[in-house]
Amino acid sequence: MAHQTPLRLAIVDDEELARRVLREFLTSMPDISIVAECANGFEAVKAVADLHPDVLLLDVQMPKLNGFEVIELVGRDVAVVFTTAHDEYALRAFEVHAVDYLLKPFNAERLANALSRVRERLARHEPLPAAALAATARPPGVPSTRVLVRDGARVHVIPADAIDYVQAQDDYVAYHSEGKEYLKEQTLAEVETMLDPARFVRVHRSYVLNLDRLARVELDKRENRVATLTTGERLPVSRSGHARLTAALER
Amino acid sequence: MHPLLARLDYAAAYVGAWLVAGMLLCTSLARQGVAWADALVFVVPTFAMYGFVCLSAWYVSRAMPLTTRRAAAVATASGAAALSGGVIWTIIAELWMALLDTTPGLQGAAAVGRVQVPFLFSVAVILYLLVLSIHYVALAYEAARAAEHQQFELQVLTRDAELRALRAQLNPHFLYNSLNSISALTTVDPEGARRMCVLLGDFLRKTLKVSTLDSITIADELALVDAFIGIEQVRFGSRLTVERQIDESALACRVPPLLLQPLLENAVAHGIGGLIDGGSIVFTVVKRDGRVLLRIDNPRDPDVPPRRHGGVGLENVRRRVQTAFPDRARVEAAAEAGRFRVELNLPCIEE
Repeated sequence: MAHQTPLRLAIVDDEELARRVLREFLTSMPDISIVAECANGFEAVKAVADLHPDVLLLDVQMPKLNGFEVIELVGRDVAVVFTTAHDEYALRAFEVHAVDYLLKPFNAERLANALSRVRERLARHEPLPAAALAATARPPGVPSTRVLVRDGARVHVIPADAIDYVQAQDDYVAYHSEGKEYLKEQTLAEVETMLDPARFVRVHRSYVLNLDRLARVELDKRENRVATLTTGERLPVSRSGHARLTAALER
Repeated sequence: MHPLLARLDYAAAYVGAWLVAGMLLCTSLARQGVAWADALVFVVPTFAMYGFVCLSAWYVSRAMPLTTRRAAAVATASGAAALSGGVIWTIIAELWMALLDTTPGLQGAAAVGRVQVPFLFSVAVILYLLVLSIHYVALAYEAARAAEHQQFELQVLTRDAELRALRAQLNPHFLYNSLNSISALTTVDPEGARRMCVLLGDFLRKTLKVSTLDSITIADELALVDAFIGIEQVRFGSRLTVERQIDESALACRVPPLLLQPLLENAVAHGIGGLIDGGSIVFTVVKRDGRVLLRIDNPRDPDVPPRRHGGVGLENVRRRVQTAFPDRARVEAAAEAGRFRVELNLPCIEE
């Protein structure tokens, strides 16, 4: 067999025994190096940021961050092979561009097969669109109850209730929550589809507002509408934004 | 309608049998010195008609089944039916002879008939009885077949119910994850793998055994809970611990089988499974004033909003409790910061 560069790999599973069987399979395979073993999603995000593995062997149901949330945060930087006992996530797994989907229990051949697919994928150097990952990491039709923002190796979990407003900033959006600002590579249109539309309203080209934070809407000196939040901050409201706001409040 | 008329092959066999009977009759007449041709012309058409008359035996056999009627009544009815059959044959024969009399060249056959009517009347009566007894035999055979079929169907239904109960109670992912644990243990800890196989076999056997029962004692239900927890503890290791507070006097109360199973599954999957360091499920059984209280209290990740209505498992438990103790039981579920608690308040019914 031709010599290959070792595949750098991280195991992510909250069950010790599940990690152990993967480790055992992998140690008997050539050109594999296990760079990290993670017992939860936070550790997985940290491992990707710090160690840059080529591939994650990723469980779906885990504490804190599930497998899909891990993909939403780091899916562009690493190839993913899901390992799970649940077959019902398979469709979503391929929508977020997972390379393969292994159903537990599986054998070493099946794993080797998945890893050769990973090598093929890496050889093609296909970059993945972040938007597709974020949009499909959630079950369809279910508004997010929290927003995940990655800051290097750290993950911030912002409950939707705690968001004051979201502001567009070039290729990013800034989530404003409890006096802090969290940047995420996303468009405001994606934010609108992700959050509960009954509570979050696009009041302006650059702003999505949490209705629970709205104190009043008034006209400024130049006859422009301005929303004042319970936090005291003031956001511009466009003509169409005002129509959407009125419609949402009447509901 | 008569089943013979519904199936062409049966009808053909029946007509064939009558032809054979007719030929035998002709042979016996020929032995007595009657010309073959005359015997044929007289016997075959009248007995062919009579074959259809004898199909009425089907109605007789249905109306007077051997199993429900007294033997004397059946014998009387059979005799009366056979005599009526004979009379009908005689009428057919008379009509046929009248027709033959008017046909040139066939008067000889009519003459033969006149001589043979008393003999052929008794033959007709005996044939009717024969056909009737064949109907009774067929009926008995059919009944036996139906009973066998019913028995078989019952077996299938029972097995089906068992499997459905098992499927409803047993989360397949629990099985897959357990198998994955065994797969991991085989090389590094063969003894542990074997222990896990025994635990799993034990759990499955107990589950199957109780799944079709209406109720089991809390003691038996707790044995199932222990088997389940034992397996999950292999999977989760030190992340999963259980604290039990069991009131011994409650053990004899009866509950629907596998009632606690979905609640424990939830406690493990949505409670312990969501916590990095795991935690302890507190399981309490108390008996008080003729009622039994079952409480499952588990830690959960406070950052994850609780599921609406607590999910399918809890809903099933509510329904089963409501069916088993209409208006006499309460199921309460409460999510607080970091904990989830389900409490069943049931009447204690002992056998």
